[in-house]
Amino acid sequence: MLAAGAAVAVLAALPLVYLVVRAGQAGGDRVVAVLTRPRTWELAANTVLLVAAVCLGCLVLGVTTAVLVVRIRLPAPGLWWVLASLPLAIPSYITAFAWLAAWPGLNGFWPVVGVMVLACTPYVTIPVLAALRLADAGPEDVARTLGRGPVAAFATVTLPQVLPAALAGSLLVALYTLSDFGAIALLRYQALTWAVHASYTGTLDRVTAAVLALVLTAFALAMVLAERRVRRRATAGRAVVATRRADPVSLGPWATAATATGLAAVAALSLLLPPAVLASRILRAGTAPDWVDLARSAVTTLALGAVAAALVVVLAVPVGVLAARYRGRSVGVVESLAYLGHGLPGIVVGLALVFLSLGLLPALYQTAPVLVFAYAVLFLPKAVGATRAAVERVPTSVEEVSRTLGRSALGTWFAVTGRQAWPGIAAGGLLVAVTTMKELPATLMLRPIGLDTLATDLWQHTSMGAYGAAAPAALLLVLVASVPAWFLSERGRRR
Amino acid sequence: MSTPRRRLALLAGALTAALALSACGGGSTPAAPATTAASGDRTLVVYSGREEALVGELIKQFEQTSGIKVETRYGSTTELAAQLLEEGDRTPAQVFLSQESGALGAVAAAGHLTTLPADVTSAVPANYTSKDGSWVGLTGRARVIAYDSRTYAADQVPGDITELVQPQWKGKIAIAPTNASFQAHVTALRVTAGEEAARAWVQGLKANEPQIHRNNTAILEAVNAGTAGLGLINHYYWARSETDPTTLRAQLKFGDPGSVSALVNVTGAGILKGAAQSPEAAEFVKFLVSPQAQKYFAEKTAEYPLVAGAGAPKAVPPLDRLGGPDIDLAQLSSVRTTVEMLTQEGLV
Amino acid sequence: MTGDGIVLRVRGVSAGYGGRRGPLVLRDVDLDVHAGEFVSVLGVSGSGKTTLLRTVAGLHPVATGTVEMRGRDLARVAPQHRGIGLVPQEGALFGHLTVARNVGYGLRRLRGPERATRVAELLARLELDGLAGRMPHELSGGQRQRVALARALAPEPAVVLLDEPFANLDAGLRAAVRADVVATLRAAGTAAILITHDQDEAFSVSDRVAVLHEGRIVQDDEPEILYSAPATEWLARFVGAATLLRGESDGAVVDTPLGPVRHRPGRPGVVTAVVRPEQVRLGEPGVSALVVAVEFHGHARLVRLAVADGTTATARVPADAGAPRPGEATTVSVTGTVHVLRTGAGSSDRTTVGHG
Repeated sequence: MLAAGAAVAVLAALPLVYLVVRAGQAGGDRVVAVLTRPRTWELAANTVLLVAAVCLGCLVLGVTTAVLVVRIRLPAPGLWWVLASLPLAIPSYITAFAWLAAWPGLNGFWPVVGVMVLACTPYVTIPVLAALRLADAGPEDVARTLGRGPVAAFATVTLPQVLPAALAGSLLVALYTLSDFGAIALLRYQALTWAVHASYTGTLDRVTAAVLALVLTAFALAMVLAERRVRRRATAGRAVVATRRADPVSLGPWATAATATGLAAVAALSLLLPPAVLASRILRAGTAPDWVDLARSAVTTLALGAVAAALVVVLAVPVGVLAARYRGRSVGVVESLAYLGHGLPGIVVGLALVFLSLGLLPALYQTAPVLVFAYAVLFLPKAVGATRAAVERVPTSVEEVSRTLGRSALGTWFAVTGRQAWPGIAAGGLLVAVTTMKELPATLMLRPIGLDTLATDLWQHTSMGAYGAAAPAALLLVLVASVPAWFLSERGRRR
Repeated sequence: MSTPRRRLALLAGALTAALALSACGGGSTPAAPATTAASGDRTLVVYSGREEALVGELIKQFEQTSGIKVETRYGSTTELAAQLLEEGDRTPAQVFLSQESGALGAVAAAGHLTTLPADVTSAVPANYTSKDGSWVGLTGRARVIAYDSRTYAADQVPGDITELVQPQWKGKIAIAPTNASFQAHVTALRVTAGEEAARAWVQGLKANEPQIHRNNTAILEAVNAGTAGLGLINHYYWARSETDPTTLRAQLKFGDPGSVSALVNVTGAGILKGAAQSPEAAEFVKFLVSPQAQKYFAEKTAEYPLVAGAGAPKAVPPLDRLGGPDIDLAQLSSVRTTVEMLTQEGLV
Repeated sequence: MTGDGIVLRVRGVSAGYGGRRGPLVLRDVDLDVHAGEFVSVLGVSGSGKTTLLRTVAGLHPVATGTVEMRGRDLARVAPQHRGIGLVPQEGALFGHLTVARNVGYGLRRLRGPERATRVAELLARLELDGLAGRMPHELSGGQRQRVALARALAPEPAVVLLDEPFANLDAGLRAAVRADVVATLRAAGTAAILITHDQDEAFSVSDRVAVLHEGRIVQDDEPEILYSAPATEWLARFVGAATLLRGESDGAVVDTPLGPVRHRPGRPGVVTAVVRPEQVRLGEPGVSALVVAVEFHGHARLVRLAVADGTTATARVPADAGAPRPGEATTVSVTGTVHVLRTGAGSSDRTTVGHG
């Protein structure tokens, strides 16, 4: 098991390693020259500014939404949970595209912030919702007897309990904003991802692209480490089991209506506006979309998603089982390496694999296997996380009993653990499939000739200004991605 | 938890079906590099720096007349040139179709292009093709300024790009610095006015806060929508408009004759060294300088065909009246230095 | 404070969940707590104990009835103004604050130095010195409970409500912590209501025990009286092991399968005698019986016996008084005066026995 896990980990780390090698091949002087350019600093500053603004926005919006949904008695309570997580279904670049289609010429810092906040807030809302649901209301009662009003008691006692979860969520937001390519490029904001792509496609100088990609990677890895640490602190010290869950408060009819309207407005902005704009664009275009082309791209997208999910699940099982069942330094290292892709932006992995395949395996260059491998590197962490959680939930005592009843270790896996953990693992695979279908930058760089996904179709049409032609692909993408997202949010709510 | 399990099974089933479909569907699964052709099938791999919307139809015409199946990788000229340089001898590409000559020169300078047969290179005038026969010019394109005709009158728009650094154009100019044509234009400026003057111009332009766009089409869209006042593009993006271009909001200002602002660059094609013996590659390049293809360029893409007798694009002045600067197109191959400067000045 | 020293008076309180027409958890509950008194509310899970506590604290609305503190009706008084302390199960410490900050949470009215002094005083009293800077997750269970108590006592409330505070401590620790807590409360002169399902706990520390059953207070008395004179058969069993014997009484002695049993004089008729295990003797002249099972409890053995007609009885045999074995034949008799219940005194009846 350890050997298998280690092999997977090495595979996952390969692209990054080769990126460093390739950059180094150009010579230390050149690398330093690129690093010290004022332009590099400008790009880095733009990126950091964007990340900070989006994080702040998501934190405020996410915590507020979660508090309102959990603590106020609203009509149709389950609905708000689902609405809070649905924006995950709509990729940021589609929202950006929809805004562009509605307001041509839209570009710059604030539109990007707006798009990214709407797209990423669920990463804060969902954990805070869960934390508030589970939060112990006992201390709040005590706080009331010690002289605080209901709002003050909540704010000083319960809110600090959920803040670590919110913080971990906002670091995830930072990671995704850092890695985002589509929205930033469409809205013409000059951040690092845009610069990597621009250097790659617009100059003959691959070294600049490589060095900028490494800078981006450094930022991303810093975020990943920070998120791990905060998450660890969030779950430590939780020695208390909730004795009482808080009941939602009933406000008067006006206040309830106002709250519901506010939440609905935010949900509409993230969920209704893009499809509405897309639909109206399609109708306005007058000409029918190229159905054959669209269908071909759709099938390709689904196929790639399925293949990537299958591969990733197979790779994730050894690592996930290792992480769930065994402790120890080597296991920790294997797990960390597998999580590398979690932090690497898509464009970095794409670039790294271009270099890798050209340098080491030219026969595989520009072929589907490399593309699927890129997806595997990028999304392995998701599957590993799901696998690990699913396997952890099967008690070791069950496995031990199975062994005493005569099954071998592998037999136990197939008969007992695997069967019980399967739904969780499959959910991980589903998540990978969805994320693969939405992926843009790595696909742009690695796809074989003639292969188009819905996302790359969208990209190509927008680069020709053909918003009308791009709209059907965008709408289809939203539909494809929303089904599993809704399904996953249902599981989260029911738990 | 039976309902979610059922849903999962359903979704898994759908995905497997899609996978099976695509495997049988054929059209979307990629083939290996073109050299492994099925028996009887002739194939060709082309790297096209020219957009699919512009040359896709032409390539289809070629496929029909020749029976050769063409696999085209579309991308930006610079990206594909860089890719060719990176791939070296291992490239699967056989023909490189470029938006402008500088990229062709750069690839040729690295020794990746093979010499074209004389009957191909002699089909076009000597000053519009390579000196050493490594690539052949196909069509001419003029650098122009597209302007918002509702905001500006024709005489308000400068005919000299050096005027663009003046403060009244702050925030109004749209450029595509990652586009090969823009880079060629700046290279021409370097060659005619010298390194320092060119750098000063780039700095002045950056100080005027230009809008950075992905490509020429995006610039034209912006000018047409009124979100940009001026844009530096190639003439044919405007001229090939389906609606009568003279009725568009964006109108063209051609550069002052004889100055670098009136640069006429050429698109071209070259055959990669690895395909030196390939009959399909030779056939394709010959097709591109044939009357049929040149007529296509004149009528469909509104470019200036370089082969005599192929007609001329409508709505724009004829080629001989444009008066491009007196430079050797081969000098535009120093595009690497240009990009270095653009990066240093922060435009890329 | 009213003249009779009652600091908390609950009268006719009914409360439930699910709005006006929802099921009631508390029905018509009366309870008085005098200054400095330690009252236990004893009941099984689901009997409404925690609801009673939350109602008194103001955290749960009252359907009918009143809660008065020192003569003042608390109907419109919000929890933060009632001056009633709360120590929930698990302590419910504020996980993100240090021990000192936890204890000082309710002392907002005091200024910095005063607050610090008071906190230090309380920590010392509960033997928590040196832990002021620790975080709650770094404390042991017993320490956490004591911090919770210190926190509740800090603002000097008139009444402290304790919700099964010792339930989650290890058995060995429980008694010690309990003793500490009670001592602290008595020393501070604070009245307390302790909610528990543990009859031992209620009896060992309280001045009075009120038994809550299906939302009603079925008896409210000192522990001795509750034990020796329960008001119903259900209560008799609930507060300790009991052998219930039905029989005809002539007013002073009742005829039971275990022989004649003396009781306090009353009317003749059919009565149920409540016989405690320590009132059953083995080996002395009496009815023949068979030993069915023996449980060893260290200081004594509980012996279950069966008489010829099938009646079972439980006897308590001190450890030094011999070790009967299952299957042995022996004789059984009842000594002393037992408590009897008149017929009709079923488990669902309320009584007004004892102090009110």
